[in-house]
Amino acid sequence: MSNLRLLRSTGLSQPLSLFKKTTRIINLKDRNFDMLKKDIFLKNPLSLLVHNIDDIVSEGGFGAVLSRAGVGKTAFLVQLALNNMLRSKNVLHISLSDSVDKVGLRYRELFQDLAKQYDIEQTNELWETMLPYRFIMTFKVDGFSVPRLEERLTDITKQGIFHPRMIVIDGLHFDESVRQPLADLKALAVEHSLHVWFSVHTHRHEEHSPNDMPTPLSDVADLFDIALQLQPEGKEIHIKTLKGMPETSDYPALSLDPSTMLIKDKN
Amino acid sequence: MKKDDQKVRNIGISAHIDSGKTTLTERILFYTKRIHAIHDVKGKDGVGATMDSMELEKERGITIASAATFCEWQEHEINIIDTPGHVDFTVEVERSLRVLDGAVLVLCAVGGVQSQSITVDLQMKRYNVPCIAFINKCDRSGADPDRVITQLKSKLGHNAVAMQIPIGLEMDLMGVVDLVAMKAIYFDGENGENERIESIPEALMPEATAKREKLIDAASMFSDELTEVILEEQEISEDLLVDAIRRGTISRKITPVFVGSAYKNKGVQPLLDAITRLLPCPSEVKNEALDMGNNENPVILPSDPEKPAVALAFKLEDGAYGQLTYIRVYQGTIARGSTIINARSGKKVKVGRVVRMHADQMEDIDAIPAGYIGALFGIECASGDTFVSPGINLTMTSMFVPEPVISLAIVPEDNKSQINMSKALGRFTKEDPTFKTFVDDETKETIIEGMGELHLEVYVERMRREYGAVVTTGNPRVAYRETITRRAEFDYIHKKQTGGAGQYGRVAGHIEPTAEGDFIFENRITGGAIPTQFIAACEKGFKSCLAKGPKMEFPVTGVKVTINDGAFHSVDSSEMAFQAAARGAFLQGYAKAKPVIHEPIMKVVVETPTEFQGAVMGLLNQRRGMILGAQDEGPMCVIEAQVPLAEMFGFSTVLRSSSQGQAQFTMEFALYKLVPQSIAEEVAENVAKQKKSAA
Repeated sequence: MSNLRLLRSTGLSQPLSLFKKTTRIINLKDRNFDMLKKDIFLKNPLSLLVHNIDDIVSEGGFGAVLSRAGVGKTAFLVQLALNNMLRSKNVLHISLSDSVDKVGLRYRELFQDLAKQYDIEQTNELWETMLPYRFIMTFKVDGFSVPRLEERLTDITKQGIFHPRMIVIDGLHFDESVRQPLADLKALAVEHSLHVWFSVHTHRHEEHSPNDMPTPLSDVADLFDIALQLQPEGKEIHIKTLKGMPETSDYPALSLDPSTMLIKDKN
Repeated sequence: MKKDDQKVRNIGISAHIDSGKTTLTERILFYTKRIHAIHDVKGKDGVGATMDSMELEKERGITIASAATFCEWQEHEINIIDTPGHVDFTVEVERSLRVLDGAVLVLCAVGGVQSQSITVDLQMKRYNVPCIAFINKCDRSGADPDRVITQLKSKLGHNAVAMQIPIGLEMDLMGVVDLVAMKAIYFDGENGENERIESIPEALMPEATAKREKLIDAASMFSDELTEVILEEQEISEDLLVDAIRRGTISRKITPVFVGSAYKNKGVQPLLDAITRLLPCPSEVKNEALDMGNNENPVILPSDPEKPAVALAFKLEDGAYGQLTYIRVYQGTIARGSTIINARSGKKVKVGRVVRMHADQMEDIDAIPAGYIGALFGIECASGDTFVSPGINLTMTSMFVPEPVISLAIVPEDNKSQINMSKALGRFTKEDPTFKTFVDDETKETIIEGMGELHLEVYVERMRREYGAVVTTGNPRVAYRETITRRAEFDYIHKKQTGGAGQYGRVAGHIEPTAEGDFIFENRITGGAIPTQFIAACEKGFKSCLAKGPKMEFPVTGVKVTINDGAFHSVDSSEMAFQAAARGAFLQGYAKAKPVIHEPIMKVVVETPTEFQGAVMGLLNQRRGMILGAQDEGPMCVIEAQVPLAEMFGFSTVLRSSSQGQAQFTMEFALYKLVPQSIAEEVAENVAKQKKSAA
């Protein structure tokens, strides 16, 4: 691992200088949780992916995760969100299909499974410290529009309630008319300097377009910086890069464990 | 007593305050011949409406406690649970909703869908209660039933369809047009008791035809037969149409709307017909009980009078002859002389008198079969208790009772109030398991505890009204808690050997935080460092420190104490000495274990029209609230947040004023959380002040 990578993974932008004057008071208990969070984040195979994503998806950038129904788009997005929350980055989760309770439960369960994997005991307390980094909004599919979202977003940012760094939009229909709302969203994302992840529902019968993108995304692929596809093969669900991710050797091949829906390193 | 459960209706009448619910109930009782004269709610005759049996209700013209009453209409038995219409009494409302199979949603033709209707409607949705709507007060100026129907659709999301149209409005209200039978109905006689059926006036014919089309269209969704008849352009029979509407109503997919004016005696009888024709009978409703032998998993109860009995006590009343317990039987039969078991306490009870209630009067009956509502005499129980036949282990309500989160000191003004207050408190604690009371050892004040500010206020008010107990109240106090955050060692010697009988005991070990319980004690003494007979004394000593924490005198929770060493003296050691040693050891360890205070955090759910969403979020945020999510539900929006209880005082007033009275909120205890440093200092100051003033 390069030096720079090491620095970044410890959350430092420059080498730590000892004896540097600092006035910040660190609560011992909080520091403990901070360390735990960092621990989960680093051990998690997704962290490598997240670092890559941070490089690729710029402010105002779009990411997409594609699969057929029930393969694990939401689980993937929630884990991506959790990894941002672990690094104290605010996530706004917008669901067009589930209720707030259900989405909340999804996060809770995946976080618990994740923490269990690394034998972390104080999951409840840890979870409490992570909750402030998440905000869930739900809309009915036909009640969702970009102006409406903008209104809501202004509500919460103007009053200093929540400033998202990442938005997850789960359940948006990618049909012929999706280009305009996506373009509006892009403008919104640039304005608020955040990036947006979408779940994209694909169908078995749909053929890939010439640029090798599944149909729902083919017309709007130019708006996306990164696109990943979840592909069930036998008992595994592979995460395949459609766009954006470099196929380098230090980037591990990832897959989704179908029993827990947790992301794991293939090797 | 008839036993045909197809002809039973257990209904509630829910509405916004002042939409004329009690007047409507009164008229229903009059037309069903249960009462022989009509008294108005705020009438000059001083008798008041029959259903409002409590003093407070008579005075304010509102209904607080749900009295159950029974009447007969067209060979159907109707049990009416008069549900409270005021927002602050939601425990009562929710308890009565469990007992209902259907409901009449009363709306004011002028006021339309008001905030309370929204709350009540949400509660009905939660318990899946099918309902029909009655637009009352069509005689008032400004009445507009069409607007109310539009609001039913837009504000409550109901698929509301008109079943009637009014003949004339405001001063000219004469009767109603029945869109199913296509007939005009007028109400003659002094009290409108004579229905006169005529053909529809010419002028109303086009409107009636158009609305009937809409009705048929909506109903056809629920009946293939009806669709067929429509497609074949045949005559649509009344029964076919009613049957389709009934199906839609029971599945809560359609809300038939009736119109009239209870006060002017118009449209009440057709509403009674609709109750019998459209609302479900007990066996058509799915009732669930929890199996206590199987992790409180839900079990569906068949409404079969032959099976073992399961019944819910949903309301207690203090009558002239002792405690009256209202019950709804879900399965089996509860008969006079039979033996039943209270599922909560496990106590066997013999059923004495069984009665059927009509507000304040009663009628003796032999048994209450499944699906019926009745009352028992002389049964010791609390509200919400389940009664079952011996051998079954089911309960209608979860046994989980949350710990109270707020307390209030009350002091009676005089001796009479003192006596009445204790009577009232005894009754309230039975009615409501979340309401608790005790006497503070130090201040000798009576403390009442409950789940929120309003919760306690209602009981203080009821004490005054119903029991004549005048009390002054202190400031509400939040139930903070103390706990420790790290492990700490202790080693304490309690020694008094100067003159008189000596005392000696040494206790050593450690204390540490635990999430497994409020207090865990572990004995790891080996080699008899502390003799076995004194171990219990040690535990007792530690336990005695928990009620008032050393840091700020709040109860201590989440502590595990392990003792692993000690010493004793063959003569001077005693149980008392070890208790004292344990207390000393606890204080020693506790101080080193970084004690902190925790505060109750409430899960607050606000339902507001979308335009106030931003404002409401701001309010929650100002109150140290953490917003978990916002759910967009068309015209309404639901915001979920976690807010410290200490910040929630006066929230209802602020919420009302910043949402033009249209936002509603519910609040329940969620968890205990660490108090932030700055707030902890404030709390400490307040505690110090209180101590000073108490001294």
